[in-house]
Amino acid sequence: MPLTFIDVEQQKSWKIGLFFIILLLMYFTSTMVIMLVAFGDIFAKDFLRGVFASFYIFIIAAVFAFVHFYLLSYGAAQTIKKNLGAADPDPEDELHKRLMNIMAEIQVATGKKRKMACAVISSQAMNALAVDDFKGDALIVITEGLISRLSRDQTEAVVAHEAYHILSGDCRESTLAVSLFGFSMPFIEKIMIYGGRAYIFSFILFKLGYLLNLFISREREYRADAGAVRMTRNPLALAETLHLLSKNWRGTGLIGSELEGVCIVNPRLDQLDESEGFFADLFSSHPPIRKRTEMLLAMAHASITELDVKRRQSEREHMPKETEKKYYALDAHYVWQGPFSIPELAALPWFSTLTWVGDGSETITKASQIPACSEIFKAQIEQAERKTTDYLCPVCQQHLLKQHYEQTRIYQCKYCGGTLVDGDKLPRIIIRRENAWPEKIRLQARATLKENQQNYIIHSAKAGKNKIIFLRCPKCKAIMWRTFYSYAYLIEIDRCICGAMWFDKDELSMLQCMIENKMAGEKLGAN
Amino acid sequence: MVELIVLGCIGVIIAWGIVTFNRLVSLRNEVQNSWKQIDVQLKRRHDLIPNLVSVIKGTMEFEQDTLEKVINARAKAVSACCSLQEKVTAENMLTQALGKLFAVMENYPQLRSNDNIMQLQEELTSTENRIGFARQLYNDLVAQYRIKQEVFPNNIFVAFFGGFKKEVYFEAEEEAKKAPPADISIRRNGSH
Repeated sequence: MPLTFIDVEQQKSWKIGLFFIILLLMYFTSTMVIMLVAFGDIFAKDFLRGVFASFYIFIIAAVFAFVHFYLLSYGAAQTIKKNLGAADPDPEDELHKRLMNIMAEIQVATGKKRKMACAVISSQAMNALAVDDFKGDALIVITEGLISRLSRDQTEAVVAHEAYHILSGDCRESTLAVSLFGFSMPFIEKIMIYGGRAYIFSFILFKLGYLLNLFISREREYRADAGAVRMTRNPLALAETLHLLSKNWRGTGLIGSELEGVCIVNPRLDQLDESEGFFADLFSSHPPIRKRTEMLLAMAHASITELDVKRRQSEREHMPKETEKKYYALDAHYVWQGPFSIPELAALPWFSTLTWVGDGSETITKASQIPACSEIFKAQIEQAERKTTDYLCPVCQQHLLKQHYEQTRIYQCKYCGGTLVDGDKLPRIIIRRENAWPEKIRLQARATLKENQQNYIIHSAKAGKNKIIFLRCPKCKAIMWRTFYSYAYLIEIDRCICGAMWFDKDELSMLQCMIENKMAGEKLGAN
Repeated sequence: MVELIVLGCIGVIIAWGIVTFNRLVSLRNEVQNSWKQIDVQLKRRHDLIPNLVSVIKGTMEFEQDTLEKVINARAKAVSACCSLQEKVTAENMLTQALGKLFAVMENYPQLRSNDNIMQLQEELTSTENRIGFARQLYNDLVAQYRIKQEVFPNNIFVAFFGGFKKEVYFEAEEEAKKAPPADISIRRNGSH
């Protein structure tokens, strides 16, 4: 009979509570031992005075630990958010909106016991963590990579796991443990060097405390998994997520080592974490993902092979659907373009009611004759007014339209096809992989890369002699600075001080295509 | 000595009585509060549906039947007020009608290019989930409350005091009963 989430939660809660008390006792015993050794002479002379002296020092130590703890955790949520470069979710962005909704759902599931906020780190890594401080701020931080690659259910499972860490007090307890042990450890090491063997006992106790801390941290992960299942009643989604995370980049170096314990999976891909056995069990901060997945799968009565099959299936589903009806359209130069799906057609800047459209068979009609296409035009008229912005295209001086792209918003010129992207939205666009690139873009990207690579060498040889027409930023009217996106992805873009970036026609797709297919420039020395 | 023991026993019993009574009262209030939470989310759904219907009406001309069902089910759910059972049935009907509508909407790829619809659909999905979660919380609390009432010796205590009536569970819809999911997880609706 596999354990249910209620059993797991209860068992682990007992264990965690008991060992946390032992941990605290260990801290106090070891400090007391230090006192006894340090004031041994006084104790020998006058026991009562010794007791008083050690009592005072004990209080001072406790105050220090508390002040440290307070400084560490007061306002920690905001500090950590700043240090990780996390930002509040953007309600205009579809995936961020979904995350905000999921947060609200989890709050409902927990009976709105605590107010929790969320923040997003724009990184490709897949990880999540929870912070809870004494100012009352509870924060769940999730990476962009995670929310764009997980399904709704899976994201919900992650949020539930992190919310459980906050609600159960895991975050605060682990901060407390870090303060107690982390603060005193250097002192004890110093005392041991100067004070000799007498202090070894307390040193060992401290080291044991560290191990116990890791043990509790591992138990907390199991408990949070069970708690997440209690909230979402969907063990399979969490198992799928862990399985996925184990196969992806978790963000090494992104998150400081102090915060590793609160992440859903250890950001360092640690051999210790995944191996089992005495030493691994002793020294790792996270339990092996395999074990966690097994526990969850037992709850769902499923097996790991089923998971793999499902994952492959969903990967296939994420590929553009071949069964969907595709259309070809005749562009301004009388060249057939395509195949496009209906949403792709709608996004073409030159697509109009008079465009000739074929569906691969012999018949060719005007776009307005096809019901699905005429829907597009109807929607376009309805939305045209709403979409027009005050920003002017820097190239053709026409109003830019607000467009829907990779589940976020960009500004596009209907005439030249250029695109304005806000600085904070570019990483999102790059991480998300909704579009499949047609062969044309691929070839174009490769050609541009090669050309720019050669030009780059010539440019740097006769630096400053080329005349560049600088564009003005549509947002703040400052002169934009022409540069390559990076030295690996040589796409010319115009950057503004305000963070906005201007891409000429197709350059954004080419950049995405380059990054997704890892088409970095060849070694420059080779040319 | 004997008197002291007797007094001690009485003291313990009184203390136990106070604790149990307070626990029962707070549980009763939590149950009522969580019921209100379901109401809030149901109201949210009722408010969203007319928007959705008005936006997709033009596109889905061939599916008037499905749309009609949603509209009717909503009207019934809004007007259902009196008994809990009536309300639950009406809401379950609405859930089913909406589920069917979402399934049908998949056949209209042009709807995907409309931002408005995508946003509304996300909002509705979220609301469905919130209803599911609120119901789950309510049922969990009702279960706790009932257990607390029915275990020995609390049952004697409850019978003696009165004032703690048995709350009813918010039952799952008929559809879900017919086809139990393969896993034990209680699937929520509209999640994808």
